[in-house]
Amino acid sequence: MKNKKKVEDIPFEEYLRKLEKIVNQLEEGELTLDESVKTYEEGMNISKICLEKLNKTKKKIEQLVIEGEEKFSTKPFFEKKGEDTVNDY
Amino acid sequence: MNNYTESKIYTVSKLNKYIKKLFENDFNLQDIWILGEISNFKLHSSGHMYFVLKDKESQIRCVMFKGNNYALRFIPGDGMKVKVRGDVSVYEKRGEYQLYVREIIEAGKGELYLAFERLKAKLKDEGLFSEEIKKKLPLIPQNIAVITSPTGAAIRDVITISLRRFPNLSILVVPSLVQGTFAAQEIAKKIDFLNKYFKDLDFIIISRGGGSLEELWAFNEEILARSIYNSKIPIVSAVGHETDFTISDFVSDLRAPTPSAAAEMTIPDKNNLVNNLSLLKSKITRAVKRSFEVKTENLNSVSKSLKYQGPENRINQYYQYIDEFGARLNSRIKHLVELYEERVKKDSQRLDSLSPWAVIERGYSICRKIPGKEIIKRLEQIEVGARVEIIISDGKILSKVEKKEAVLN
Repeated sequence: MKNKKKVEDIPFEEYLRKLEKIVNQLEEGELTLDESVKTYEEGMNISKICLEKLNKTKKKIEQLVIEGEEKFSTKPFFEKKGEDTVNDY
Repeated sequence: MNNYTESKIYTVSKLNKYIKKLFENDFNLQDIWILGEISNFKLHSSGHMYFVLKDKESQIRCVMFKGNNYALRFIPGDGMKVKVRGDVSVYEKRGEYQLYVREIIEAGKGELYLAFERLKAKLKDEGLFSEEIKKKLPLIPQNIAVITSPTGAAIRDVITISLRRFPNLSILVVPSLVQGTFAAQEIAKKIDFLNKYFKDLDFIIISRGGGSLEELWAFNEEILARSIYNSKIPIVSAVGHETDFTISDFVSDLRAPTPSAAAEMTIPDKNNLVNNLSLLKSKITRAVKRSFEVKTENLNSVSKSLKYQGPENRINQYYQYIDEFGARLNSRIKHLVELYEERVKKDSQRLDSLSPWAVIERGYSICRKIPGKEIIKRLEQIEVGARVEIIISDGKILSKVEKKEAVLN
């Protein structure tokens, strides 16, 4: 059933938990050869997915500009240094 | 002179007890607020506070017990203008009436403080602060929004720390007023707006740097509290300093003591995560390698014992048996042959020694009848006048029997 879920929809922490479980399983050494090969491959795959998830997002700092009830746009956000006043804080 | 009866004489303690009851039954003296200035303030080692509350013309003794004063947000001091809430009653031991204080607020902040407490109690009763409804933040946020002043230190802190911890993060800055009459309404609107058009946000930080109670007031307003409560996107409240608590803090899904702390608490350190991942990966590889080694070793020992019991070994064993048997057989046969040869040799020697010729050589002779060639061993076999042949070693002698003579021995 879990296979039906898309990789993107499964949160990072769930994969991390799976990975930790795999480490435990392999360290216990109770698996058959076939199972450990399978589990190993699964672990490598999951760690790849985790890394992909970490690198998926692109750095983006944007500012929301609301132009009306349902109208909006975004523009790059630049920090305006040296402009803060007490009121701006 | 003696116009009083015994029954009308009170003891002092009875009198004071009676007066105390009068005070306590008068609801005008119970749970009231009194405005005044603190003087002669003493914090006793027991934890109870004693002071006098006065105005220009009058004063009243006050006591605030430990159980009530631990929640004070400030330490009262002489000269402080305060509003106190409590009950007037009598200290029987001394026969003095005094104010039993349950709450003190600084007079200047009074209205706001009361409003804060009222709203807090109300929303708490409605269940807006309940822990069960608080949403969990994802471990790896990818898209976050920060509602705050775009020019303040708060947004700078949040961006700097967030990016330091997770360099490839998407941050949406949502500019808003954060103080003043319209601030609460504006922040609330922006939360609603983000819920409508930015459903993918992992969470929203609403933030403002430190300030006075009045400056932080927007975060104590009901309209904002409701908007936070209704938000489907988790809300992180990061307002003021560590010591400032706002209604937003209580109703939000996570309270951060400061804007910087909000970033520290919500954005994971990517380096840590990557290191952790490669640690897990190497653990997996190591574990598999080790289990392979163990299995190979097992296999070796199994195949060794299999060889001992297996057909190959059996056949070899037979080969060896056969080889051994063959060798044994050979030597046995050889032995037998030698044995026979020996025997044959011996037998033939014996045969030689038994041969009549050998005897004849030694001087014996054989006498046979003619004809018939019957060997004559006894006298009765032959008649006088019969012809015989006598065989000797190099030929035979033909002769006639002339006389028979028995030998007696």
